[in-house]
Amino acid sequence: MTQSNAAIYELSTPLTMVVGSYGSGKTEISVNLAVATRMRGCRVSVADLDIVNPYFRCREAQVLMREHGVRVVIPPGAQQFADLPIVVPEIKGMLEPQEGVFSIFDVGGDEVGARLLSSFSEPLKGRPYRLLQVINSRRPFTSTLEGCIRMKEGLEESSRLKVGGFIVNSHLITDTTIEVVLEGFELAQKLSEETGVPIEFVTAMGELAQAPELAALPAPILPLRRVMLPPWLKDEPKDDSSDEKSNRMPAGRVKPLFVP
Amino acid sequence: MAKVLMKGNEAIGEAAIRAGCIHFFGYPITPQSEVPEYLAKRLPEVGGVFVQAESEVAASNMIYGAAGVGMRVLTTSSSPGISLMAEGVSYLAGAELPVVIVNIMRGGPGLGGILPSQGDYLQATKGMAHGDFDLIVLAPSSVQEAVDLTIRAFQLAEKYRNPVMVVGDGMIGQMMEPVDFPEVEVGPPLAADDWALTGCEGRSPRDVNSLFLDANDLHNHNVKLKDKFAVITENEQEWELYSCEGEYDVLVTSFGMMARICKTAIDVLAEEGIKVGLFRPITIKPYPYDACREAAQKAKRLLCVEMNMGQMIQDVQLATRGAKEIDFFGKAGGVIPSVEDVIQSVRETLAKTGK
Amino acid sequence: MKKIFAYTDGLTRLPTHYCPGCTHGVIHRVVGEVIDELGIRGTTVGVAPVGCAVLAYKYFNCDMFEASHGRAPAVATGAKRCRPEMSVFTYQGDGDLASIGMAEIVHAANRGEKFTVIFVNNAIYGMTGGQMAPTTMPNQRSTTTPFGRDVNLAGYPIRVAEMLSTLTTPAYVSRVSSHTAEQTVRAKEVIKKAFQYQIAGTCFTFVEVLSTCPTNWGLSPRESNKWLEKEMLPYYPLGDIKRPEDFEGGQHAGN
Repeated sequence: MTQSNAAIYELSTPLTMVVGSYGSGKTEISVNLAVATRMRGCRVSVADLDIVNPYFRCREAQVLMREHGVRVVIPPGAQQFADLPIVVPEIKGMLEPQEGVFSIFDVGGDEVGARLLSSFSEPLKGRPYRLLQVINSRRPFTSTLEGCIRMKEGLEESSRLKVGGFIVNSHLITDTTIEVVLEGFELAQKLSEETGVPIEFVTAMGELAQAPELAALPAPILPLRRVMLPPWLKDEPKDDSSDEKSNRMPAGRVKPLFVP
Repeated sequence: MAKVLMKGNEAIGEAAIRAGCIHFFGYPITPQSEVPEYLAKRLPEVGGVFVQAESEVAASNMIYGAAGVGMRVLTTSSSPGISLMAEGVSYLAGAELPVVIVNIMRGGPGLGGILPSQGDYLQATKGMAHGDFDLIVLAPSSVQEAVDLTIRAFQLAEKYRNPVMVVGDGMIGQMMEPVDFPEVEVGPPLAADDWALTGCEGRSPRDVNSLFLDANDLHNHNVKLKDKFAVITENEQEWELYSCEGEYDVLVTSFGMMARICKTAIDVLAEEGIKVGLFRPITIKPYPYDACREAAQKAKRLLCVEMNMGQMIQDVQLATRGAKEIDFFGKAGGVIPSVEDVIQSVRETLAKTGK
Repeated sequence: MKKIFAYTDGLTRLPTHYCPGCTHGVIHRVVGEVIDELGIRGTTVGVAPVGCAVLAYKYFNCDMFEASHGRAPAVATGAKRCRPEMSVFTYQGDGDLASIGMAEIVHAANRGEKFTVIFVNNAIYGMTGGQMAPTTMPNQRSTTTPFGRDVNLAGYPIRVAEMLSTLTTPAYVSRVSSHTAEQTVRAKEVIKKAFQYQIAGTCFTFVEVLSTCPTNWGLSPRESNKWLEKEMLPYYPLGDIKRPEDFEGGQHAGN
């Protein structure tokens, strides 16, 4: 398999909070980032802080993450399927992880979802954290510079935290092309110039991560594997040509919405 | 227009706007709340009206008021909320008002759960509320189809002056898919119609009403509604046949998102050389009985797959008039049958045919 | 010869179905006159209730809805929000508005919907045959309170106008009566003012009109008027209860 020369993104801040509009891809990014970080030998905790959306949350990928040794913090038992805003006490400890441990917060969509972070703004004062805003130029309300700025201001106002970086996650799920990714990068660059906030990394799903165009971008890449599969999609065929099997997520479908 | 990535709920809201509807009255309920949330942002951009009603009962009566003055109007809800709208729907049907109601179904009965379900099939198609009337009911199986059918719903509502319901399970509402919004030729404003309450300047007063004091008048009104639905049944049935060319021993019947899982199962079986057909009604009311019967003719046995305890199977039984054995497989409460589950139940049905 | 009385264009010429002595007819008349005098008949849509006035859509000479029980304020909300240039009114009784439709009226008032509500309070259910209404007086007999309304079991009558006046949203809320000619003239002035506030887009407007029900009260028309005066007026005082002028900068003067 050809390897792109793009730099691969690695977490370096103890606490990373992923925010953005509904459906911008926060959960896919959080799960992939957690597993990738665990793969390079670091300890990782992921908290599902999506209390606004009932479906497609990273708690649905809890088995996959745990199999990889990622600690998953979600409400206990059947409470995780309740239509209730539940914040578990373990979250507090994750605000200040031990040396060498990384915390990732997968936050709910829009300013509505980010509001939950507001209660952490006090204890987070002076602590190292990254609030990362996901940009998908193919989502309504964030397809323009003005829309992204409005979203950023809304997220910052409701969370009482500052966005410290942008994640370029422009995609159309299965219809994503390299043009869609580059279009998103262009938008994020303008956004970065306008706001002074840097681009943290660019995501690329599956084979797109190998596209030579990405290597030319002045930002690291986070290669993604799709983990939130709808129930009609079959398991992906096993890629036996890869000699880095141990670094692959299991090909098994994450079965969403399964109530035990 | 470039493709955009949208949640089903958002896409339904946008599709309504594209169909010329800029008036929304509704009440939040999981898993459809993104429709009002999306429209609360979008409608002010297009000079529309957004009202968060005090209840679903009120919402269903607000759309009666809005449609009555000749405006395209939408409301959306999920199962328990739809039950509360029963009153309004009966009045809307009685007064022959063109409205679109979307039900993003969740598990029931009662408060049930918030996860996807198809448990309101019979409610939507057979017993939405009191009195003799028929809704037109459309069941999309993808976000793109949710867009197309929402637009279609407005067109049908206006063509027949009849409430139209779009039913999707929670997954359709919540999942994201790339969608295209087609160019829609929006018809003339309803206010120009000869029933709309636009003020009686220069004409006799009109009323929007479902009250008939005289039993004969009410009987005649019922006959009129029945006749209207006969025309709808004649003209508006839609369905999809999948893998139905050639021979097959088993025909799967399924609707909405469940049919999409069935298609994958059918593809997997096809790879093994097992041919299975699929009949998917798109209008679950009027139900395409003839098309279903025809698709069933080649099959030795049928398998009805639903995300409920067996509701559409009644229509499959009506379609086949008892000529075929019909097995049922379904899960309720938010458990989504997997591709493997469907494959297994197809094998069981197949075994009963002697193969 | 000088014409001293004529039909109003605000009403159709259809004879009403109301019982002798019932004041629904005269309340219809003043609402019709107001609509006519303000020149808004061609741009008005009314909402009839379920109750004795269920056939009001036949009597008002303008476009009319017939709503389901209690939901007239929701129907009016849908109509007025979509056509703010039109005048919209609901005409509702005490069972319709104060019992089954309590949520709809409270929330319409609280949202400040710019339409006019004519609330006819005759302290009983007329249409269904004389059962207790939320506004039925303590100890008043009805078919469902055969020994008189027991306030320990059925609570006290609801003063809807006062209750709505507790909402912060600016509104015009007034109570009038229809039991004498003088009061009816006063009622017309208040109803006109309510429509004028609506036309100016000022606020939600609510006029409670005390009314009689000789048939279900079991009294003659004359006795009914006396009963209203003696039993209802002390409990349901007349006059403006809330005026939009009293509202300044988000606060009610005097609150």
